[in-house]
Amino acid sequence: MKKETIGELEELVLLTVGVLMKDAYAVTILDELTEQAGRKIDITAIHSVLRRLEKKGFVVSEMRGATAERGGRRKRYFTLTPAGRAVLDDSMAVRTALYHRLPKLTFSTI
Amino acid sequence: MRLQPTNPPRWAVRFLHWYCDPDLLEDLEGDLFELFDRKCQTASPAQARRHFAWWVLRSLRWSAIKKNNVLKNNTLMMSSLNLKVAARVLWRDWLNTVLNIAGITIGIICFVLMGLYVWQESTYDTFHSKKDRIYRAWLLEDYGEGQTFFNSVTPIRFESLFESDFPEFERVVQYDQRQFPVTRTQDRSISERVALLSPDFFEVFDFPFIAGSGKAPLAGKYDLVISKRYAEKYFGDLNPVGQTLQLQLDEQFVPFTITAMISDIPKNSSIQFDLAISNLLYEDLMNPRVLQAWMMVGPETYVLVNENSNIADAEEKTQDVVMRYIGEEVNRGEYNIGFQPLTDIHLNTEVPVGIAPVSNPVYVYVLGVIGLLVLLIACINYTTLAIGQSIKRAKEVGMRKILGANRKGLMAQYLSESVLIALVAMLIGTVLAIWLVPVFNRLTGADLEYTFQWQHVMVCLAVGVLVGVISGIYPAVILTNTRIMRILQASGSSPESHWVRKVMLTCQFTITVLLISSSLIMRKQIAFLQSKDLGYDYEAVVAVNMHSDTQGRMMEQMESARANAELLMTLLAKHPQVADLTTASHSFGSAGWALLGFPDKQGAFRQFRLLTVDDNYLNAFQIPIVAGRGFEAKSGLDKRQSILLNEAAVAYFGLEDPIGKKLPGENFGEHQIIGVVKDFHFQSLHEEVEPLVITQNPMPLFEGISDVNVFDSMLPKLMFKYSGSQLVQAQRILEESWEQLFPNVGLSYHFIDEAIQRQYANEARLNKLVTVATVISILIAVMGLLGLTVLVVNSREKEIGIRKVIGATRYEIFGLLAKTFSWQLVLGVTLSVPITLWLMRQWLQDFAYRVDIGVDMFISSAFIAIFVAFLVISYHAWRASRLNPVKSLRVE
Repeated sequence: MKKETIGELEELVLLTVGVLMKDAYAVTILDELTEQAGRKIDITAIHSVLRRLEKKGFVVSEMRGATAERGGRRKRYFTLTPAGRAVLDDSMAVRTALYHRLPKLTFSTI
Repeated sequence: MRLQPTNPPRWAVRFLHWYCDPDLLEDLEGDLFELFDRKCQTASPAQARRHFAWWVLRSLRWSAIKKNNVLKNNTLMMSSLNLKVAARVLWRDWLNTVLNIAGITIGIICFVLMGLYVWQESTYDTFHSKKDRIYRAWLLEDYGEGQTFFNSVTPIRFESLFESDFPEFERVVQYDQRQFPVTRTQDRSISERVALLSPDFFEVFDFPFIAGSGKAPLAGKYDLVISKRYAEKYFGDLNPVGQTLQLQLDEQFVPFTITAMISDIPKNSSIQFDLAISNLLYEDLMNPRVLQAWMMVGPETYVLVNENSNIADAEEKTQDVVMRYIGEEVNRGEYNIGFQPLTDIHLNTEVPVGIAPVSNPVYVYVLGVIGLLVLLIACINYTTLAIGQSIKRAKEVGMRKILGANRKGLMAQYLSESVLIALVAMLIGTVLAIWLVPVFNRLTGADLEYTFQWQHVMVCLAVGVLVGVISGIYPAVILTNTRIMRILQASGSSPESHWVRKVMLTCQFTITVLLISSSLIMRKQIAFLQSKDLGYDYEAVVAVNMHSDTQGRMMEQMESARANAELLMTLLAKHPQVADLTTASHSFGSAGWALLGFPDKQGAFRQFRLLTVDDNYLNAFQIPIVAGRGFEAKSGLDKRQSILLNEAAVAYFGLEDPIGKKLPGENFGEHQIIGVVKDFHFQSLHEEVEPLVITQNPMPLFEGISDVNVFDSMLPKLMFKYSGSQLVQAQRILEESWEQLFPNVGLSYHFIDEAIQRQYANEARLNKLVTVATVISILIAVMGLLGLTVLVVNSREKEIGIRKVIGATRYEIFGLLAKTFSWQLVLGVTLSVPITLWLMRQWLQDFAYRVDIGVDMFISSAFIAIFVAFLVISYHAWRASRLNPVKSLRVE
C-alpha cells in the first residue's frame, strides 16, 4: 500500500489541529501558527492545506458555531484522526532518530 | 463597538459565490468575514477591503472551484467546444491552415524582431532605480553672431558649483572618458579607454557589484573599478579585487588598486566603461586653471534631484547663480545651463551628443511602424483568405442558424478559429524569432540581446489574441450577418464581401510595393555614398595611431608622437610594398576634426577645420591643387609658416586671389597661404565640405584663435599605402617594425576604407532592417496570393472545364486567373508611388549628397511585385489548365 506522505506546512497545520483540540478552525489555526512558528502565512494557504489533509484522511471536520462577526456563517472545526496522529508520530520518530545520530560537536565540518 | 460597520467589497463576495464549491462556501466565507472584521479594527476600511479582495482572489484554487453543471454550461465550456470545432475545420482545410499560420507566423517573427529592436532602443538607461530623478546637465553659450556653443559635456567646475549652490540636488557626479596606456606587468601596455568617475558615482547609478566593496569603491585617488570581462582579460580566473593595474599618467606608470568588480554593463546603457578610476585624479592630471574654468568642457555632469525637489526649480535659478559667479564676463542669457532627463539622452537628437552615442529616433519609429505594417499585412492575409473560405462555410452557418444558434455564439465560434490560429502562430513565431536573434544581428549589424521576462508571455498572449480578433472579426461578421435563406440557396458569396476583399488586397499590395521600392532606393543611396569619388585616394591605406611618450601639454604630446611616427616611417620605408608614407593629425573616416574659431577683422565669428600634416600628404593621397603650389619637400619655410586652404575655405573667407595672403584674423602668428586644394570629402557625405586649413605647423594658427573644439585625438596618425597583393602581409610588416621600435606599447591601426564605410553604418543597418522586412512582406503576400488563387481555381473549376471543352488554350486560362488580381496589383503599385516618394524624400534630407530617386526604382519594384505575383498564380493556373475537363464537369 502506498504510504501517504506529508509536507512541511501540512505537518505544522496538522500539529496545530491536534494542539488546539476542540477549537481548531482555519482562523484559530492561522493565529496559532503565526504566534508559535512566527511565520506569515496566508489564510488561503491554510484552507487549501486543510482541504488536502481532510482528503488524505488525517483530519475530519464538522460545521458549527456561527457568530455575528462571521455574518452568521458557521465554522468548520477540524479534529485529528488516528491516521493523522500516526503520521505525526512517524515523522517525529524519523526526525528524532536522525537527530540523535548527529555528532555532538561538529568539529569535522569546520 | 464600532460606530460604522464596514462591509467587504460586494463584487468580491459575489465572485466568491460564483466560483466557490457550495460545500466549502459557508465556512470559507465565514473565515474571510471574520478576518475582515478583525482587519477593520487595525487598519483603514480601504486597506481591509483590499485585503479581503486579495484573499478572495487567492482562494480561487482548483480544490475550491465548484465542479457542477452551472460551469459546464458556461462560456468556458462553450469556448472549449468552439475550439474543438475550430480544430476540426482547420484540420479539414489543412492547406489553408498552413498558409494562414505560416503567413501570420512570418508576420509575427518580423514584428517580434522589430519590436525587440524598438524596445531595446527605447528602454535605454531605464534600468537605474533612480532614473526618474537623474538628469544630465547641458551648457548653451550664445554670444550672438553665430558664436554659439552647445554641449552636453560640461566644465569640471560644474560638480562643485551644483553641490554648493543647488540644495535641490541630492548628489552631483561626473563621468568622463580618456585614453590611458594600461598594463598589468609593465612589459606591454595597451591603450584603453578609462572612465573617470566621481567617488559617489555608484550612489547615483545602479551598476551591480559582483565582488569588492560596494561602499565608495572610488574613494581613494588610486582606486580602480573593473568590469567582469576586463577582469577576465587581465587576471583570468583570479579574484581581481585587491590586485593592481598600472596606468600611465604623465611619464611613468602608476599602480592602481582594484577595489571592486562590476558586472558587464548592459548594451542599453549610455554610460559604458570597463575600467573606471576616480576623478580625484583631476588634481594631478589637469592644470588648476582648467579645474576652475567656465568655458572649457570635458566631463558629463549628472545630478540626482532630491525626492521633494523639482528640476524646474533648479533650472529657474541657474541664471542667477551664473550671474553671481561670472556676471562680469558674460551677460544674462549668454551662458545657459539646462538639464535633460537621463532616459531622454539616447533618442534625443536636439541636445548634442556627449560621450555616449545616440540613436536617431526617426529610425526607431520607422522600424516600429514597419513591424506593425508587416503584422497588418499578415492580418489582411488571413482576412482575405477567410472571406474566400466563407463560400464553403456558408452552408454550415445556415445550418447552425436553423438549429437555433444565436449570432453571438456564431461570432464566438469564428473568432475562436482565428484566435486559435493566431495563438499557434504567435507561439511558433516568437520561439523562431528569439532563436533567430543572432542571425538577425549578423544580417543587420544590430546589437540585440534577448533576456526572458514573464511579462513577455503576457504581451505575447495579448498580441496573439488581438491579432486573432482583428483578422477574424470581419469574416465573422459577414458570415453571421447574412440571411439564412440566401446562404442556403446561393452558391457564391455576397458581392459586398468581394468589394472588401479587393480593397484589402490592394492595401496589402500597396504596403508590399512600398517596402520594395523603399529598400531599393535606400540601397541605391548607400551604394552611392560608398562609391562616390571623395577626392582622394584611400584604397588599401593603413592608418596607425601614434602615441606620445609624455602626457603633458598638447603641443609637447604632438611633437613626441610626431617623432615616434618618423622613427616608424624610416623602418617601414625599407619595404618595397609600402609607399606614400605620410602623417596627419586626423585620418579620414573619423568625425570631429579640430574645429577652430576666431573673430575676423570685421568682428564676425569664423570657424574652420584644421589638419596638421607633413610635406608628403597631398602627394600620398593624390589631392589635386587648383591654385598656387603644395608643400615643398624639406622646405624650412613651408614647414614653419605655409598653409593651404580648400576651395570651400577660400569661398568662406571671401578671399579673391588667396595666394600669398593671410587668414582674415588679427592675432595669428606668421603664416602665408601658398596654395588652394580642390575640395575633398574629409567628412561623411551627410555634410557639405567645410572650410579646411592644412598646415605643417599649427602654432601660428593657435595663437590667433579664440575657441577650439576637438573630438578626435590630434596626435598624428601615420598613414601608408600598401601595394602588395595580400593585406595580411601589410599587417605583418607593420607588426614587425612596431615590435622593433616600441615593444612596450600596444599597436592600434585600421584600414581607412573600412573607417569610411563605417560612417554610413547606421544607414546601412536601417537598409538591411528594411530589406528583411521587405522580404518578409513579400513572403506573406505570396502566401496570401497563393491561398486566394487556390480558392479561385476551386470555385471556378467548372467554368474552366467548360472553357477548355469549348477550346480555350492554356494561356487563355492563365489570363483568366491573372485578371482576377491584376487590377488590385496595378492599383497597389500606383498608390505606393506617391507614398514612397514622400517618405524617401524625407529620408534623403539627411544627406548633403544624394541620389535622384528616379523612375527606374519604381519600374523595378513594380516588376518585382508583378513577377512574383504571376509566378505564384502561374503554378495553379498551369495545374488548372492541365486538369481533365471530364473530371471537373462529371461530378454533380
